[in-house]
Amino acid sequence: MIVKPESLPGDVRREADVVIIGSGAGGGPVAKELAESGHSVVVIEEGEHFSRQDFDFRAGDALTRLYRDAGQTVTLGLPVIVVPQGKTVGGTTTVNSGTCLRIPRHVLKRWHLEHGLKDISEDELNLLYAALEEYLFVKRADPEVAGVNNLLFLEHAGRLGYGGGFLPRNAKDCEGFGVCAYGCPSGAKQSVNVSFIPDAVAAGADVYTGCRAERILVRGGRAVGVCGRFTDPRTGKRTRRLEVRASVVVLAGGAVQTPSLLMHNRICLSSGQVGKNLSIHPCGATLALMPEVVGNPKGIPQSTYVDEFAPEGIMLEGVTVPPAVMAITLPWGGRRHAETMRDYPFIASYGSMISEHDSAGKVVAGPSARQPLTFYWLGREDLDRLKRSILLMAEIWFAAGARRVYTPIDGFKELSGIRDLKRLSRARLKRASIYGLSAYHPMGTCRMGSDPHTSVVKSTCETWEVENLFICDASVLPTSLGVNPQLTIMAMAARAAGFIDEKLESASLREETAGRLERMRARLRSEKESVARRLSGGPGSG
Amino acid sequence: MTMREYFMRRLHRLVPVLIEQVEGMPPVDPDQVTAFAREFLQAGTPAFRLLFYAMMLALQALCLLTRGRSVYSLPPEDGDAFVRYLYSSRIAALGAIPTVLGIPIFMAHYNRDDVQVRLGFDVHGMRGEAAAREVKR
Ligand SMILES: Cc1cc2nc3c(=O)[nH]c(=O)nc-3n(C[C@H](O)[C@H](O)[C@H](O)COP(=O)(O)OP(=O)(O)OC[C@H]3O[C@@H](n4cnc5c(N)ncnc54)[C@H](O)[C@@H]3O)c2cc1C
Ligand code: SF4
Repeated sequence: MIVKPESLPGDVRREADVVIIGSGAGGGPVAKELAESGHSVVVIEEGEHFSRQDFDFRAGDALTRLYRDAGQTVTLGLPVIVVPQGKTVGGTTTVNSGTCLRIPRHVLKRWHLEHGLKDISEDELNLLYAALEEYLFVKRADPEVAGVNNLLFLEHAGRLGYGGGFLPRNAKDCEGFGVCAYGCPSGAKQSVNVSFIPDAVAAGADVYTGCRAERILVRGGRAVGVCGRFTDPRTGKRTRRLEVRASVVVLAGGAVQTPSLLMHNRICLSSGQVGKNLSIHPCGATLALMPEVVGNPKGIPQSTYVDEFAPEGIMLEGVTVPPAVMAITLPWGGRRHAETMRDYPFIASYGSMISEHDSAGKVVAGPSARQPLTFYWLGREDLDRLKRSILLMAEIWFAAGARRVYTPIDGFKELSGIRDLKRLSRARLKRASIYGLSAYHPMGTCRMGSDPHTSVVKSTCETWEVENLFICDASVLPTSLGVNPQLTIMAMAARAAGFIDEKLESASLREETAGRLERMRARLRSEKESVARRLSGGPGSG
Repeated sequence: MTMREYFMRRLHRLVPVLIEQVEGMPPVDPDQVTAFAREFLQAGTPAFRLLFYAMMLALQALCLLTRGRSVYSLPPEDGDAFVRYLYSSRIAALGAIPTVLGIPIFMAHYNRDDVQVRLGFDVHGMRGEAAAREVKR
């Protein structure tokens, strides 16, 4: 059942085999797997539950309802980077683009060699990926609905000799409505809110929405439950309490909230790694004024990619935005802004994503567990690669006939041709001269590893320090992936669900054995007593 | 009057300075922008709210200093020139003032159905199509 705070008559106290904090890419698969294995599962989700009818093509409204802090979450440092995160049933998957990529082989190798994670084998992961891809209807974007914007870019990248293709996505019968990041209005995108969570609920799981988990209960070094507090969605006031006692606690709040919760609960901190090692895949974007109507955002926003430069850590991926979002990315106001916006039908866009080499980030405890502080410093090399990615996108747009290309670089906000590209190529950028950056893949803040001194969780996702406390979200990924992470987060979560299931099975086996032993002991006791009574000739001896 | 009310009234008067009415586009509606901004700021972080209010004060102070009059009473041409001056300044902090203020203001205006439709994004048609096309697993 999906429970809304307003339907509750009072505080909730209950028991379950497993309590899961967060219903996103990590929490959803664990909930489904364990509920379908016959365990009682409770999910606690801070955001509200929406259905496809609630998604109304208004990006501004979606930001305030579906995103944490209305999408205003940023990293502090140079430059400031917006890192939006979903806060709703389905987590960030409800607002993501649906791209589903497997971990690159060289990254897995790094996990094996640098983090001692050899027991996560390529074969095992491939089996998990295959099962997930089937479950989520993952297939390459259909060129029919890929959108003019994405097709144009791919075609002209190809003409320049840059390799690319259509991205695999978890969408079934996608009609290219173009608003994946604001909630898919047809239910085509197989985000966790329309896949894992409904299946978990069908198997008996309960999802408490509008409830923030605040305390992880630990007794004798073991996690034994979670306490949370509901919020009235209308007033924002804290209302009822929730307490769930459980044999296993799964933390799946995402790479920013999960370390914050651990820090505020003062648990799992001895490695010194909680909140550290944050990577985010910083993203650049370009807008291009084309001679013909592009017709954004109709078409799949992220249907194509150019991976020619992936070995350098640069992925180019499609992105289209509705007018409300494009309006806040333009570096002008007044007349210039209004006139450029009037050209919206002619404006194309594309994005780039950098796999970090020398940047560094961390999440630290903020004034409240809800509001941790995120710091991020873009390294010199990564800044140069961001610039290179913007140059590449501009080059491709000009090859496609763009009249002008707009970039997020001060002094180069508007490029009108190859001469400007050369000028930008020669420029040595300062961190402060690149603005309006965003990043969509925070990860690594409770990294997995084989050494309890340098990692927070084991390869099973159980924390080194607190028994029966598992972390199943982007925070366990030990390195920057270089590709969109949701499928890997799901695979690691599904893998962890197997270990949790084993644990619960052996616990219930232990309980069963303990029960049998207890019954045997009681029988022996009563037999002994009756023998003793018989020998002493007491009552009942006949 | 609460602090929030004070800033919302100011914001209402700031809307035409940042969003200029151009031919072919639906009229700007400061009421709608203010209502959206109120909700957006409320749902957001306290840090962004504070930054936003600080930027409003900074904008007014700068306008008084450089133009000798309140930003809220600038004639449209002067308002546009002032905004252009800020955006093109070499001092990044000056450009940040209208950038931050523009976030809820621009988002609100371009979130409107009639504005989106005018820009070729037929939200009414799409809503109808989406409603008729429920995808079942
Ligand atoms: C706009 C956008 C587009 C993206 N596109 C793609 C894409 O195409 N492909 C891809 O692979 N990735 C994409 N991503 C990233 C991907 O969606 C995330 O990496 C992934 O969802 C993270 O999974 P998670 O389980 O770590 O966290 P989330 O999916 O964010 O789930 C965490 C959930 O936990 C809840 N929560 C947190 N703390 C608490 C608490 N204390 N109590 C209760 N609940 C809590 C949150 O509200 C949230 O719902 C995109 C991200 C964004 C923002
Ligand atoms: S493009 Fe449209 S139909 Fe397709 S997944 Fe995204 S929002 Fe849904």
